[in-house]
Order: sequence, then C-alpha cells, then structure tokens
Amino acid sequence: MLLFWSEEHVGKWCNDWNLRRGEVIPLERCNRLAQAWYSPDRREPEWRRRTVDEAEALFSELGLTSEFWHLPR
Amino acid sequence: MDAEQEKIELDKVVRGHVYDFVMREGLPPTIAETSSTLACSADDVGDSFQRLADAHILVLQQGSGEILMANPFSAVPTPFLVKAGGRSYYANCIWDAMGIPAMLKQDATIEASCGCCSTAMNLTVTNGSLEQAPGIAHFAIPAAHWWDDIVFN
Repeated sequence: MLLFWSEEHVGKWCNDWNLRRGEVIPLERCNRLAQAWYSPDRREPEWRRRTVDEAEALFSELGLTSEFWHLPR
Repeated sequence: MDAEQEKIELDKVVRGHVYDFVMREGLPPTIAETSSTLACSADDVGDSFQRLADAHILVLQQGSGEILMANPFSAVPTPFLVKAGGRSYYANCIWDAMGIPAMLKQDATIEASCGCCSTAMNLTVTNGSLEQAPGIAHFAIPAAHWWDDIVFN
C-alpha cells in the first residue's frame, strides 16, 4: 500500500510497473482504517487476529465494500 | 498442560515480548535477544516465530528466521519513517505507517514520499486524527491476495 500525490501519479506508477490499478482511498479514511486495525494492544495475551467476518465488517464500516475488499474464506 | 497448549502459551508470551520490544526500541527483537529475555531456547523461539508467521502475525526473513515485519513495524528501512515519542520506526506501507501512532497511542509524524515521483510527503497524526494533507493511498492487491506476497504488498 503506497502513498501518492494524486490519481494521475497512481496511473503513471501502474503503467510504469505494468500493474493493474487497485483501489484508491483518501488518506483520512486510510488513517481511520489504521486506527481501528492497530488500536487493539498486540502485547496482551488475549489479543487475536480478527476473523474474516470481523475484518470485512470493519472494511464495510469504512465504506470499503467492493469485491476488492473481500477476504478468502 | 499438554505440549500443544504449551506452544500456544509460549506464542502468546513471545508475541507480547516482540511487540513490547519493538514499541520500546524501534526494531523487533532477534531470536537471541528473545531467547535470553524469556529464558527459553533459541530453537523454541525460532519455532514460535515460525508459528506466529504461519498465523500471519509476523513475517520472517528467509533463511535466518529472524523477524522482517511485526506489523505495522518493519525491521529494515522502508520509505515510511514514523517519528513518535522521541523514537523512530519504519513501517511496511502507508497503512502501517498510520498504524504505528494507533498502536503507540501517541502523536506522530510520517516522513514518506510519492510512490510514483518520490517527492517528499510528510503527514502528521494528532490525537488519532490525520492533519489535512494532500495525497491518496493506493492498495494494489485485492484483500483476498494480500498474504500471497506480503513483502510486495
């Protein structure tokens, strides 16, 4: 997941590396995703990874609902 | 306690140590450091690192079995330098760079650059909120394939 100035820069990067364009999200939404994803304290014994359903529910809360955000089951 | 339960309990202790260490020191601990601190064998620590990697909690360096990533932290320099609490950390990607202040529960600055043109792009996270800044985050790989090649991703 990389940072870019603009959609135009994403397009040029994808073209340069012969990669398909993925999904672009605003930085503010990326920060909300990071805050939610990484706030649980991984030092705690009871910490565990989110289940697929829990992760997809979080994506959905942030409006990340397309096929791109579906996790393997 | 049977052998499987002992491994589960050891993995919890090792995970706790890895994250405690990287949050304090800026880099993940080595097998030797973890072995010394937890007073268990290097083989047991290496096996625990591998189980945590199999569970997609750590990413290991090929060959040595040392930690490459304890998400969101990177053991090696990356284009995502996060400064918080008087310490510097490397993140694995822009998502992880924003994840470091979330994990530390501290304000942070993120020194990054455009993936296309390498122009510097500095971000600031204060009280969990991102201060207004130009830019977008691009996720190149669909979520279903993130762990196919987590280093590229």
